[in-house]
Amino acid sequence: MSMRRLVLGCALRWGDMMLDELRGEAREDVLAAALAALPGATALRLHNLLEARSASEAYAAINDGVLSSDVAPLEVLEEWQTGITRFDLGILQARIDAAEVRVSILHDADHPLQLKHDIDPAAVLFRRGNLPDPGLAHVAVVGTRRATAIGREVARQLGFGLAQAGVVVVSGLALGIDGEAHRGALLAEGAAPVAVVGSGVDVVYPKRHADLWQQIAECGAVVSEAPIGANPEPWRFPARNRLIAAFADLVVVVESRRAGGSLLTVEQAMRRDIDVMAVPGSVRNRAAEGTNALLVDGCAPARDVADVLVALGLSEIAVTARRDNSFADRGAAPNLRVVGGAGSKEMITVLEAIDDGPTSIDEVLARTGLAVFDVSACVEELVTANLVTHDGARVRRL
Amino acid sequence: MLASIRSSTLDGIDGAAVDVEVHVTNGLPAFTIVGLPDASCREARDRVRAAIESSDLAWPMQRITVNLAPSGVRKVGAGLDVPIGLGILAASEQIPLSALEDISAVGELGLDGSLRAVPGILPMVDVLKTNRVIVAAGDAGVAALGAGERVRPVRRLRDIVDAVAEGLPWPHVEPPQYHEEIRNDPDLADVRGQVSARWGLEIAAAGGHHLLLVGPPGGGKTMLARRLPGLLPDLSPEAARLVTRVHSAAAIRLPGSGLVRRPPFRAPHHSASMAALVGGGSGRIVPGEISVASEGVLFLDELGEFAPSVLDGLRQPLEEGVVRVARSGVMREHPANVLLVAAMNPCPCGEGGSVGCRCGPSARLRYSRRISGPVLDRLDVMVHVDRPSPTALLDSAPGESSGEVSQRVARVRELAACRGAPTNASLSREQLEDAAPLDAEATDVLHQALTDGRLSARGAMRVRAVARTIRDLDDAGSTLRACDVYAAIGFRVRPPMGGYDA
Repeated sequence: MSMRRLVLGCALRWGDMMLDELRGEAREDVLAAALAALPGATALRLHNLLEARSASEAYAAINDGVLSSDVAPLEVLEEWQTGITRFDLGILQARIDAAEVRVSILHDADHPLQLKHDIDPAAVLFRRGNLPDPGLAHVAVVGTRRATAIGREVARQLGFGLAQAGVVVVSGLALGIDGEAHRGALLAEGAAPVAVVGSGVDVVYPKRHADLWQQIAECGAVVSEAPIGANPEPWRFPARNRLIAAFADLVVVVESRRAGGSLLTVEQAMRRDIDVMAVPGSVRNRAAEGTNALLVDGCAPARDVADVLVALGLSEIAVTARRDNSFADRGAAPNLRVVGGAGSKEMITVLEAIDDGPTSIDEVLARTGLAVFDVSACVEELVTANLVTHDGARVRRL
Repeated sequence: MLASIRSSTLDGIDGAAVDVEVHVTNGLPAFTIVGLPDASCREARDRVRAAIESSDLAWPMQRITVNLAPSGVRKVGAGLDVPIGLGILAASEQIPLSALEDISAVGELGLDGSLRAVPGILPMVDVLKTNRVIVAAGDAGVAALGAGERVRPVRRLRDIVDAVAEGLPWPHVEPPQYHEEIRNDPDLADVRGQVSARWGLEIAAAGGHHLLLVGPPGGGKTMLARRLPGLLPDLSPEAARLVTRVHSAAAIRLPGSGLVRRPPFRAPHHSASMAALVGGGSGRIVPGEISVASEGVLFLDELGEFAPSVLDGLRQPLEEGVVRVARSGVMREHPANVLLVAAMNPCPCGEGGSVGCRCGPSARLRYSRRISGPVLDRLDVMVHVDRPSPTALLDSAPGESSGEVSQRVARVRELAACRGAPTNASLSREQLEDAAPLDAEATDVLHQALTDGRLSARGAMRVRAVARTIRDLDDAGSTLRACDVYAAIGFRVRPPMGGYDA
């Protein structure tokens, strides 16, 4: 027992020496990153800590044990005091540099303006890439991960249209709606998108979006509150949703289930008096239960990009956007002529029998009364002409 | 005294001739069998002794040595009981040595001296060229397919001794009555609605294209698959003989006439091992399900639940129509010319992203990845089988019966035969160039699909074969039109499977 205490004491004293040695030369951003990684370092406690201190001052204050319980409960402070000595700041610095991560704290000039004045400010923010001009309109496009094909298409179109109109698309890079909104925004090559993620900015999650992650880091920004190397633990996502709301001037929910995580974003938006719009969905679509409920509660409906632009007060752009409706018709229009030119009456009959919603081949057969051979051939021809999609099970008009 | 008699054993699905030499000499009573016998063959000593004594014959209290030549071939099963017994009787001078000339025998002995049927009798009698071939009465029908009039079916060991030693006539054994096999395949008329799935089934049957049925549970995938063999024509005489040989070797019950005339239907459970599916085993290489289903239908229900390695093991046999199984020292080639029908759910919960689906996108993706691309690539016709609508289920008149469809199927298969292959699916690349010319528009369609990356070069050839079948079923015109090609492309498997729609 006494032996252990002796060893521990030595280690602490040695740690102090290391700390003194390091404090002199450690970079502010590395120290900030270390603070964010402390156990129990919630956004509120970090804010209390950094409200009137620089990162190095906060570091010293923790080490010297001079903080009051206003910052955090005393047992947490004690934990910080021991925890702080265990950091290898050299390795942390190497990881930050390797991933090209920029760490900013509350008072830094490049800390996002929206977050400085937020009601739940994020005191430490990690990011890869460059944040777009805060003067641009920011719209959060969020929704369920388990989206329908139509929902994902709408998200992609919204992302495309908004970015094209010079609006920054903010979303969470999750599977489903979030990712599709980002994908559309990248496709437009307009305003750069912002991705707010729940894991550390160097931890790609979900893995399937590694390509999106990289592209956004290159042309826009991937930001996170989570420290370097943090795993995507479930509790980080509500906090991430709060940041999405904080960045946005307007939140558009594309598809949300009855108790979906995107409704947390909506809640956070309402706390900040940010307008929320919802994309109307079919009453039989479970993935749209949440959005339809929002409409019932009085949210404005977002049928297309123009609706969102009007809500942002960008109505002039909206008029052109509506006229172009550029995304949906691109590529499809010339093919319509091809179909007309071929003059196949059957094909038009088949096209008319296919819904916007998924339709099975047997339903098309029943509606048209044509032979199975004709319908199959027509459907595949329509697929080639980009007028319908066929996922192997059902067909749907594009 | 030394006696020798001809017999045979089973080697894979082929017979191997065996000379049974029996030497009886003075010395301490002993009985040894040499020449690579397996356990059941070595146990012959006890059965033979009891059978001889039960037949009112004497067991020589001398030194008995049995040699099974050639010694390099592993002897399996109890089929050598009868020749060993006869050899002992001749070597102990209870029957004349000359009586064994020009005689061969295959059969198992019971302790009461009766002869029992053995599996694989057809390939075994195939290699016996003697004038008289003794088999158990139970094997008479099947053995006659191989040896015809030379077969001497008997019920008891005593009958053989009476015939060869006492000069009595061979006993008359009533050959199993030949009768038209009752077609008890379920009928396609039972399937209500499912128009597109029925059409896919017809194309698969007509052209011999491998079929994948995808759909929610309770949609009728299994029901449809079980109706596929009923659409296929009877086996040709050569095919029937081959199938009968394989079934005989795999110890599968043969129909009353002995000859398998209808295409077999095999549906192994998804826990099947590699050896069970493609063949294998230690000692003797047993034909696997893919060989047993040869010339018929191999139905893999719940394709996603099969071990991926086992499924990948099917790739080469599906391509070549034969499966080569190698074990230490031996390699056997078995037929594997099957029409593969696979069924699977679109996702773990089975709803495939429709309104009631409980699976997340990643779960669905994982599920669809369980089947490797090369396996999916070999399934030329993918059909989605939805749950039939209530109106189709309750109101509509029964669909076409299997009889009507099978006539069209037979016609298409005859057309393929004229082109030089049993089915359109087995047309070679060159044959396909001749048999499936494309008109200008169809060429454009195929070209477009190739440039879009929707088809691989291999896939384009498969599409052409399917389009050929579609045209054959339609009006059998010689040139393929754009609509034939479109419809055929519509049947290609589209990854990711399972659909994401609600």
